[in-house]
Amino acid sequence: MTLRVYSLSQRLTTTVLAFALIVWGFTLAISWTMTDHELNELLDAHLAQAAALLASGAVENRVTDQDSVRQAAILMHKYQSRVAFQIWQGGRLRARSADAPEAMLAQPGTLGLSTQLLSGTAWRVFSVAPAGDPGGGVIHVGEKVSARRHVLLASLRGALLPLLLALPFLAIGIAWTVPRALRPLRQLRDTVAARRPVALDPLPEGDVPPEVRPLVQALNALFGRVAEQMEIEHRFTADAAHELRTPIAAIRMQAQVAQGATSDEQRAEALAATIAGCDRATHLMDQLLLLARLDADVAGEALRGGEGVVSVDLVAVVADRVAELAPMALTRAQRIQLVAPDYPVPVHMRATLLAVLVRNLLDNALRYGPNEKKMVVRIRPPTAGKGIELTVEDAGPGLSDAAIGRLGERFFRQVGSTASGSGLGWSIVQHVARLHGLRLVIDRSPGLGGLRVRVQWPGVR
Amino acid sequence: MRILLAEDDELLGSGLKAGLGQHGFVVDWVRDGVAAERELMTGQYAAAVLDLGLPRQDGMDALAAVRGRKLHTPVLILTAREAIDARIRGLDGGADDYIVKPVDLGELSARLRALVRRAHGESQTRLSLGDVTLDQAARQVWRDEQLIELSVREFDLLHVFMLNADRVLGREQLEKHLYGWGTEVSSNAIEVHVHNLRRKLGSTLIETVRGVGYVARRPV
Repeated sequence: MTLRVYSLSQRLTTTVLAFALIVWGFTLAISWTMTDHELNELLDAHLAQAAALLASGAVENRVTDQDSVRQAAILMHKYQSRVAFQIWQGGRLRARSADAPEAMLAQPGTLGLSTQLLSGTAWRVFSVAPAGDPGGGVIHVGEKVSARRHVLLASLRGALLPLLLALPFLAIGIAWTVPRALRPLRQLRDTVAARRPVALDPLPEGDVPPEVRPLVQALNALFGRVAEQMEIEHRFTADAAHELRTPIAAIRMQAQVAQGATSDEQRAEALAATIAGCDRATHLMDQLLLLARLDADVAGEALRGGEGVVSVDLVAVVADRVAELAPMALTRAQRIQLVAPDYPVPVHMRATLLAVLVRNLLDNALRYGPNEKKMVVRIRPPTAGKGIELTVEDAGPGLSDAAIGRLGERFFRQVGSTASGSGLGWSIVQHVARLHGLRLVIDRSPGLGGLRVRVQWPGVR
Repeated sequence: MRILLAEDDELLGSGLKAGLGQHGFVVDWVRDGVAAERELMTGQYAAAVLDLGLPRQDGMDALAAVRGRKLHTPVLILTAREAIDARIRGLDGGADDYIVKPVDLGELSARLRALVRRAHGESQTRLSLGDVTLDQAARQVWRDEQLIELSVREFDLLHVFMLNADRVLGREQLEKHLYGWGTEVSSNAIEVHVHNLRRKLGSTLIETVRGVGYVARRPV
């Protein structure tokens, strides 16, 4: 089942009109009831009064013949014709008004007010037996109920007809006003519709009504996020295109050197370099993709909601990475010293990102640390007020203050650095740290003389 | 022909050095912008291949400094910066050619030869001096239509003489044209090569200028 979605103007128009109609109906019902009640009371009183008047006259004048009866029927007022009376004496109709029926208006024995049905016509009748009339006479004064209804309708018509006539005008008014009131929405729609997909500058908020402003603000916020995402993607594409040129150029050049090699030795060397170039391009691509995803995470603040954050044992992760890098260290006669507690040190992070952080830190230390030297990896468990700290120190050349300042700039690499570094490792480390609220401190290692990097988790209060 | 290569990427640099070597160039390789400027300032290179994104100093700055000193060594920019405005800036900034990575080794060699040729006011790929003709691209030499076998060094030396016809060249100067850094050069290497050239191409081709060096004169 599908629900039809009505336009705002349709909805407003029908709702307002329906409501007006209901209100009108209520007014009608209430007016009807109240007027009917009041009118009946008033007219009943008149009937009673007329009956009392007739009763006193009948006793005094002893109306006996038909002629005098007829005289009483002279029309005195236009409403008079709806009122009729009968004077009965001793079971005979002694007098009646001109329009009074021949039949008795009320059942014998009925006194006071009653409603009677006489040959299809409803009558409101007041019956009285005049006191002191020995003949047991009875006087009926009646009024057609339809006459009363007529009066009722007449009095209501004046009050309710203008209201009913106002309804079409109300409809026209609504039909005219609603689209006008919705014009800012329509303008907004036109503005958004006319936009090119790349136009993500905010919509003006100043000249929209307060009701529409939250919508505009929400749209602007969305535009902002989309623009940021697009910027990230654009940067990724540009970075990738730019950064892959050199590795690809190297691969091509080495392949051509292999092609034109005059000795087996030169050919083998060039082919090895070609393969190394491919490995580097792959590594660079992986790092670029990882960075792009991290960028998107930072922009989307996906981690603020704690998505994917679990408790991970830092000691286990670092030990794993050290084991993973050990072969690479061995080939260069580097030693890795791991100083860590023999119990788990849990940190709350995305497990994959912690691994990425640790691997990049150790990678950097290994790459830039000289052969046959050692590097130290230290994990300090949380102590009174101080948070967990992961320290990676190497015996490499370290970095100048200027170079430390430039760390994390994409593709920044230290002069004379090895070919395998992508220049993205630091960007990645910084992104991961930012995502998890970690502090990075970089300075010179007092023990080994090279670079010292400290990752500090916030302390528990 | 001695070429300066300024490239900070280890793999690409070693590939370029080896590849250009295969095409008969002698390549000196520097890895940063400051060294590139320093080496270009010596003016002893037939041409230079310059990367732009160099450590310590951007290639463009090195080039500007060299051109500021009125040094006209032909410079070919080989870079990853592919944007049109980067190319325009490179060429307007004093570069003689601009190539976006990656590049074909053969094309790079041809462009370098063209740059050197033009720098010496030649537009032909073949140089002639008397009855000797030298094809720079094919690295072949003829004497009276007859192909002459020359060693790599002999060819390079003859090439230098023919490019610098009527100019007296000192022994050290010639060595610099022929040998890259770290090459052991025996004190009489040039003498030996000149001797061989005279033997193969005629004794009148290269004259000795006593106490100064040698000169290849154009026949009047």
